[in-house]
Amino acid sequence: MKSTSTLVLAAAAFAALLVAPAAIAADLTDVGYLDQAAVGALPQFQRANAQVAQYKSQLDPQFAAAMKRAHNDADRQRISGEFQQKFLDKQRQVLGPLFARAQTAIAQVASNQRLSVVVDKRIVVFGGQNITKSVVDLVNGPGPVVPPASTPPPAVIGFVDQSQIDQLPKIKAANDNFLKFANDARQSALQKMQAAKNNQQQQQQIFQQYQKSLTDEQNRTLKPLVDQTRSAMATVANQKHLILVIDRADIIYGGADITADVQNALK
Amino acid sequence: MSKMRSNRRIFAGLAVAIVMLAGCAQPRADDPNVRGIGYVRLEEVLKKHPLYPQLSQIDDSIDALGLRSLGAGSVPHTGKQIATQTKELNAELKAAQDRANVILRQKQLDYAQREQAAISAALAAAGAGTNGAQSAQAMQNISAAQAQQVTAQANSDFGQYQQSVIAQSNAALQSIGAQLGARADRAFGQRATQLQERESQLSLELSQQDANKRLQLRMKLNGLALPDATRKQYRDELAALDRNEANVVAAQRARDQQTLATYRAQLNTQVRNEMASQSAKIHADTQAKLQTRRNEVSQQVSSQLQGLRPAAVPSNLPAATRDRIAEIDRTFKAKFQADAQKTIAQYQATKAELDARYAELQGADASATGAAHTQLGQLQRERDDLYNKMVEQIRRDAGTVAAKRGLQVVLVNIEAAPGGIDLTGDVERDIESLHE
Repeated sequence: MKSTSTLVLAAAAFAALLVAPAAIAADLTDVGYLDQAAVGALPQFQRANAQVAQYKSQLDPQFAAAMKRAHNDADRQRISGEFQQKFLDKQRQVLGPLFARAQTAIAQVASNQRLSVVVDKRIVVFGGQNITKSVVDLVNGPGPVVPPASTPPPAVIGFVDQSQIDQLPKIKAANDNFLKFANDARQSALQKMQAAKNNQQQQQQIFQQYQKSLTDEQNRTLKPLVDQTRSAMATVANQKHLILVIDRADIIYGGADITADVQNALK
Repeated sequence: MSKMRSNRRIFAGLAVAIVMLAGCAQPRADDPNVRGIGYVRLEEVLKKHPLYPQLSQIDDSIDALGLRSLGAGSVPHTGKQIATQTKELNAELKAAQDRANVILRQKQLDYAQREQAAISAALAAAGAGTNGAQSAQAMQNISAAQAQQVTAQANSDFGQYQQSVIAQSNAALQSIGAQLGARADRAFGQRATQLQERESQLSLELSQQDANKRLQLRMKLNGLALPDATRKQYRDELAALDRNEANVVAAQRARDQQTLATYRAQLNTQVRNEMASQSAKIHADTQAKLQTRRNEVSQQVSSQLQGLRPAAVPSNLPAATRDRIAEIDRTFKAKFQADAQKTIAQYQATKAELDARYAELQGADASATGAAHTQLGQLQRERDDLYNKMVEQIRRDAGTVAAKRGLQVVLVNIEAAPGGIDLTGDVERDIESLHE
């Protein structure tokens, strides 16, 4: 009787282990997140942005005057390039040091809290470590922010730069073709809608046909490439023992960049 | 023996229970392939949300409004466009009035001539041939000098009018050319600004994205016991980062310049085509104006020459002939009235159509002050508000599901997920239960 009870208890404990993982998953997360808007709203960032905007407002009349003096399109292009470079230089000069300080602060907080990756707050729906306040305190603190002594530990989250993937010839060609198709479809829909300007029902039908044509074309030309890209990402991520892959724009610190591997896999 | 059998039954039962539990067990939060990480495919869950049809409807409205407001000549956006269209409508109305007047005058003349012919025939039949012959003679006796004077004056007036109309057309063409050129310049400027802002954004993003790598390299360079070769390698890598960023921005700028060059060529073609079209329209208008004036002048001359004609009906006619002439006069006046009524009805129909367009224009007047954009903006705000509410609810649900599953972090916007726990199905079921 005693041995039966023991067996029942042991089995129950084993079953409990299977159905209640909550108790044993504690303290696993090394994923942090940051509210970038909160950092951007800091007075020093606001001042810097105002400074850049003021510089642009000074540059605009000079640009307009220079463009008026331009003799041809080549002149206009050259002038446009020169002024844009001036603006970018100023932007770098004013905002660059602030970004560098914020990035060092993020690195230090991440290191202190043993985070392997820091992502944008927008993509976190549950859990994770919010490091916004620590980063803001550090950025606002006196003196230089000291970089951490160690680099982030290997991450289980990887990222891809989708804009680079989009530049692969076959993907770029597909995107360009789709844009052209969408533009033609829009022009055609517009003409039909103008012809049916007093018939709302007909206009509704034209609009629905227009939307359907876009969806069909998207499914026909772009979806296979999207699926292929996702599959390549999953394969590379598997090889690198990554758990998830996110877009580069959502990564703030750490993470494994697998863009080049995915590009190679897609070639 | 019976105890043994009982134990075996318990073992068997437990084994079955364990196998069943193990069979339906989901990945554990501490699995090496999960490590406390879950994810939700937000866009899929959104589609199951009870408010998704509303969101979809707003999206459609935004698309439809966007499409309509892009259409040339559909919803005007500026007071200037309204003024231009009103002016065009005024011109069309005036043209319709002029056209109706010309037709009426022509008909009046036709009927008067036919009446005159009928009266002459009646007089001849009544034996007043002498009077008819005298009238004809009187016609021939109109002074050639008077006729020449009338014609010369009319030709001179017409010449002046012609010159003034052509001068107006030339001025209008010049003004349109300047307007089209200015519009093309504005469009080009807007596109250039857009591209510049994109380059600026790209430059910022690049420096932000590389900040992590840059920082790591600087940290490594801070190491005191760093061999010279390694230090150089890190410095080179730093320089390479700068170079790469500059190259990417430069490549983007080159592409943008190419885009701008193509856009400029496209704008130039558009200006040329529009100019040709406007020029043809103005030319046609000018010709129409001149033709109308020519008709008017011709009628004036004819009318003035007719005014020089002596009275056709003698005063000493018999009563029967007078009655016959009166009858002819009534008949032709009635025919003219009926015919003129048709022309007036046609004019009224044109005017009604123009009135409708005026009304439509008045309706669109509100959009001239930005109503179309306001409506778009309002819809976009409604959409954002609804979307945020839906996402917030999904976040809360995902949080509850994640806590139950013992996860540490749940992310959205996932590109690929070879590991982790997919909570999409669970959250979808929770959200769908809101329907019930």
